[in-house]
Amino acid sequence: MIVSYIYTALIILISLLVQGHSSFDVVRIAGVKPDLMFIAIVYLSYCFGSFYGEVTAFVSGLLHDAVSNSPLGLLTFPKVAVAFVVGMFGRSLFKNNILTTSLLLFAASLVKGFLTLFLSYVFHEASASSILSIILPESFYNALLAPPLFFIFDKIFERELEREGYM
Amino acid sequence: MEFIIRHKSVVAFISFTLFCIISLSIQSSTLVLTLEGVISAITMPFQKAYDGAQSGVSRLWAGFTELTEVRDELKKTRSNLQKYESMAGEMSELKRENDRLRELLGMKERVEYASIPATIISKDPDNWFRTIIINKGSGDGIKVNMPVIAYQGGQKAVVGTVIEVRGSISRIAPIISPTVRIGVKLQESRFPGLLCGYSGNSNLCKMDYISRAAYIRFGDMVITSGQGGVFPPGLLVGTVIKSYSLESSAYQRAIIKPVIDYNLVEDVFVIKKDLDKDLFEIFDEDKEKEK
Repeated sequence: MIVSYIYTALIILISLLVQGHSSFDVVRIAGVKPDLMFIAIVYLSYCFGSFYGEVTAFVSGLLHDAVSNSPLGLLTFPKVAVAFVVGMFGRSLFKNNILTTSLLLFAASLVKGFLTLFLSYVFHEASASSILSIILPESFYNALLAPPLFFIFDKIFERELEREGYM
Repeated sequence: MEFIIRHKSVVAFISFTLFCIISLSIQSSTLVLTLEGVISAITMPFQKAYDGAQSGVSRLWAGFTELTEVRDELKKTRSNLQKYESMAGEMSELKRENDRLRELLGMKERVEYASIPATIISKDPDNWFRTIIINKGSGDGIKVNMPVIAYQGGQKAVVGTVIEVRGSISRIAPIISPTVRIGVKLQESRFPGLLCGYSGNSNLCKMDYISRAAYIRFGDMVITSGQGGVFPPGLLVGTVIKSYSLESSAYQRAIIKPVIDYNLVEDVFVIKKDLDKDLFEIFDEDKEKEK
């Protein structure tokens, strides 16, 4: 299990660095870039359950908030909530294939987006135009990237998944 | 205890939710800001190391691939240098004449500001906020509200303002961010307006409060007006790509494409200019003098 923790920490750190680096702006489509860290969190919740996903989501959310200009907790809570729900129902509802992976990420990204919008509205500042300009394009982008990333993560966590009886 | 272990995911969810809500409710308290600073300090070395590694690889790759381009550019730069050298003498003469005329007219002297070069090490990792983090901080003399510029395509133009300073890093809010507001004017017609980001994820800006009397053309240059006290006057901001009159307003609006592309900017210069004295402070000083 320690190996899984190390891999998880590395995946989160690398996705935060890649997403935050100026060169990553090149992949912007319709003004948005994908949330690699969020895709990793959904994968970990889906494979290793709610608790693992929530803890990863909380720690990575705090890092995300600290690096970003957002108040502490604004980007953390939506990740924790999605990790909790995906971990609860993930494996029982979704079989691991391209279509379901994309659908899962699309739905999860929508929930994350609307929760962020709600929190922004209550605690910061928000605009309803974010639904069209941020939430929807980002959800599509995440859904598009989910299958290849899930495939890579499957390879990274192959042994752990075998031990858990998922492969 | 057994209950907590059995329902650890629910307990963790409730605890994390409470933490986030409390943290958001007291977001400007010293405790939360310190915590955010500590977490930020943990990630910063990794960001700097990643940026260094990425730049190293890019430079190495560029060394192999861009040799021909560099040779062409060198040739072009040499010919440009010759042209500019011949212009230098003429320019100094014009500057002297300009200074003399300004003195005769009793106009305020144009202030030249020093600048601090800095490299962008990170940008906001999500789509909800748009800020830039540079590798220079309070230790290098950077203060909040200092203006930031960059060079792109041979033009010097505005990038944004410093909104947060830590020991060795600073955060910049770019002009495309809807929270940044700058006093600007159309370079040719001199009509003033207020510039801010067009929307959360757009790379454009909008210029509001332009008089209906102003004739705005596609391609008109927009420069800083110097009003507002943050930016020195005359800095290039962008070009007009569209303009229209608002039905319910007595003003026009122009959509501006910034000269500096947010996605491409890598190196910036922080202008060492403190915020101009607030008008109220000036009034207070005058009152004290009168007494």
